[in-house]
Amino acid sequence: MNRLRTPLYHLARCALAAVFLYAGGVKLLDPLGFAGQIAAYQFLPLTGNILVAAMLPTIELLAGGLLLCPRSARPAALVILILNLVFLAALASAWTRGLAIDCGCFRPGAASSSIPLAILRDLLFVAGAVIVLRYRPAPRCK
Amino acid sequence: MTDLRRLGLEAAVILLVGAALGLSLNFRLVLRTFTDGTVSAVPSTPVAAQAEAFPEPASLAEVRELLAAGALAVDARAAEQYAAGHLPGAVSLPLEAIMAGDNGLATALPAGRTLVVYCSGYGCTDSFDLAVLLLQAGYRDVRVFEGGVPAWREAGLPLVKGAA
Repeated sequence: MNRLRTPLYHLARCALAAVFLYAGGVKLLDPLGFAGQIAAYQFLPLTGNILVAAMLPTIELLAGGLLLCPRSARPAALVILILNLVFLAALASAWTRGLAIDCGCFRPGAASSSIPLAILRDLLFVAGAVIVLRYRPAPRCK
Repeated sequence: MTDLRRLGLEAAVILLVGAALGLSLNFRLVLRTFTDGTVSAVPSTPVAAQAEAFPEPASLAEVRELLAAGALAVDARAAEQYAAGHLPGAVSLPLEAIMAGDNGLATALPAGRTLVVYCSGYGCTDSFDLAVLLLQAGYRDVRVFEGGVPAWREAGLPLVKGAA
């Protein structure tokens, strides 16, 4: 297992970076569309939806970019972890309320996707972030 | 422990910088959201102000009042969905057709009437997108019925069948 830690760490780090650079990028291009998707969750007022739509894409992009560099990967992974826990809470709440919505995870205007699937995917991201947080390889030289 | 604290601080910095970056990139959008309706914004040009306007959402109760007061319901869904059941008195203006290059949006609907745009409810953003386009085309009073057809149906209100 110990031999697997380093490759696993780099795999999780790079995969998360790719996912969040993509997710942030497509949402940054269409903030209004993204705001519409957040509105579908029905728990923020209009201004709140716009604020989240304005800030979240750049946070995702920044965290994704910082994950690429091992030196800054840990705090970026913590940010990804926190974001995904919030996403999970939002998805779970939408699921229990029976809302049939597009999760707003990636491209605005995508066809409605399954909420349980989005929850599974977010759990995978949480696991990835935990791996990046915990499996940091020891520095080779001091 | 100091390591954890440092990690938390660094994460907080990422969140703050990301948020600040996003707010500055979307500065106009955010400013508009906060000034529209609360402070009477004095726009530089009337045309720019219209193009930047943001459609207001309307609840089911508001929609019923608006329609009763003479507002025009606008169905943003595909023509087949409109034919299968639409709000009484609604006109069909599929977003698909508009996006496909069907021009004439500026004259498609009566000017001066309140427009209530809807589609298939919270899961669909077509009504929102169409409302933005209508505002850009010069219509002044455009509302989005976010609950759309599902909310209307659930309230036990009648839907009308038939093509446009």
